[in-house]
Amino acid sequence: MDNLDFSVVWKFRDALAWGLMMSLLLSGICSLAGTVLGFFIALCQQSRFRAVRWAAALYVEVLRGAPTLITLFWVFFCLPIILGVEINAFWSSIIALTLYMGAITSESFRSSLKSIGQDQYDACNALGLAPATRTFYVIAPQALIRAIPNILSNVISLFKESTLVSAVGMVELMYTAQSISNITARPIEILTAVALIYFVIGYGFSWVVSSVELRIRARVQS
Amino acid sequence: MTVLQPFVWGRSMADHFLKIRGLEKSYAMGVIKVLNGLDLTMTSKDRLVVIGPSGGGKSTLLRCIMGLENIAAGAIDINGEPYIGADNGATRIDRRIQKQIGMVFQSYTLFPHLNVLKNLTLAPVRSRGVPRSVAEDRAREIMRRFGLDQKLTAYPSELSGGQKQRVAIARALMLDPKLMLFDEVTSALDPELVSEVIAMIIELADGGMPMMIVTHDMWFARRIATRVVFCAGGTIAEDAPPEEFFARPTSQRARDFINNVLHANAEPA
Ligand SMILES: Nc1ncnc2c1ncn2[C@@H]1O[C@H](COP(=O)(O)OP(=O)(O)O)[C@@H](O)[C@H]1O
Ligand SMILES: [Mg+2]
Repeated sequence: MDNLDFSVVWKFRDALAWGLMMSLLLSGICSLAGTVLGFFIALCQQSRFRAVRWAAALYVEVLRGAPTLITLFWVFFCLPIILGVEINAFWSSIIALTLYMGAITSESFRSSLKSIGQDQYDACNALGLAPATRTFYVIAPQALIRAIPNILSNVISLFKESTLVSAVGMVELMYTAQSISNITARPIEILTAVALIYFVIGYGFSWVVSSVELRIRARVQS
Repeated sequence: MTVLQPFVWGRSMADHFLKIRGLEKSYAMGVIKVLNGLDLTMTSKDRLVVIGPSGGGKSTLLRCIMGLENIAAGAIDINGEPYIGADNGATRIDRRIQKQIGMVFQSYTLFPHLNVLKNLTLAPVRSRGVPRSVAEDRAREIMRRFGLDQKLTAYPSELSGGQKQRVAIARALMLDPKLMLFDEVTSALDPELVSEVIAMIIELADGGMPMMIVTHDMWFARRIATRVVFCAGGTIAEDAPPEEFFARPTSQRARDFINNVLHANAEPA
């Protein structure tokens, strides 16, 4: 526990920067894809068809209920056997994190859809808007706006969950940190530095979330 | 005389603009009966003010006429044509006729994510096939007419309550309605904002727009009504011209109601 040497962090800055970039890329892609998926799932949960509603609800319950690590392993180890195709660490990570993001985001959309009052529907119907027009131009945009703060919080959760993908050998910040720790035998310095990086990014982002939330509030009050 | 008046009126003018027969409406799968065989007629010259106790079914009546509710029984005809009817549990609504009716609600129902111009043009453009430029010109014209042209690019959250309701009325007018329904449109407003909304409705009335108005504002009722109907317990308990209605209400319930309301209005705040 003597001679802590944080210069080791600086020495491996390129590798760490590259790992961070991969983590951000992974979180970014899966946030976008998962948000689209989540929106679609939320609409399915409002479907007129019971089977569609149930399928969507089942998806959400399973993916929110199961540990994300199991989803990841399932995609990495089981899905290739079932589909008979190779799925590498990168794609397994993308798929698993997108499925996770889709599940938690569909819940955000579901509650924002529910929070839109009957009077908005009444106004649309009194104006003679067709149901599809009503959904597309009035209800969905408001649900999207209302869901933004929640979705941004989901992005933070996703960013933190993304450390799991190092378990299937996906080279991102966590994986890089582990490797450097092993090589240098300096886990305290490296892992502390990496923890700090996750904290700063997560905290900075949640600060963005709260300022966005304030701006949005004005756009959701009729 | 008072009792016969509306009946004679509708028939003598041979003007069956709006005719409601035996309208029944219930909520909660028939458990809560709200309208119990309501009859009402209105000519195209009428401005009908509906007053009555809270829970008496006024909003439900207007919502039924707007085609927002399924009905249990009865029929609504407009200009002698069947508009809404009930056959064995299913409600038939003639959407062609529904498009000619506009409604403004008590709560602000502007679309908060769209600016005023987009609020006005959404329905004409997306559901009536009006070209956008035509709809926008019309929106500007209507907004100018009602002194709101400064607000075209404002969002609803930037408007006062009175302005919001005036924009909501303008939005309904964009669709060129032949009948306007107003459900307590000033009830949610601060007192100093009521008059601008009332002035807009009076201007429409002077332009000959047939309308049905639910209000608790007795001054407004007297000013605008050609007829006042008293709606309580899901039926029309009284129907008379305003002078008669306020001077000599025939039913005890209407008498009590008017006394209460006038008394409440007279009380210092
Ligand atoms: N969506 C609804 N579900 C159940 N009951 C309702 C609903 N809307 C109105 N009601 C009931 O119908 C009755 C009449 O309501 P309403 O037409 O709003 O009366 P008013 O506008 O005269 O105050 C009330 O008892 C109310 O509780
Ligand atoms: Mg009401």
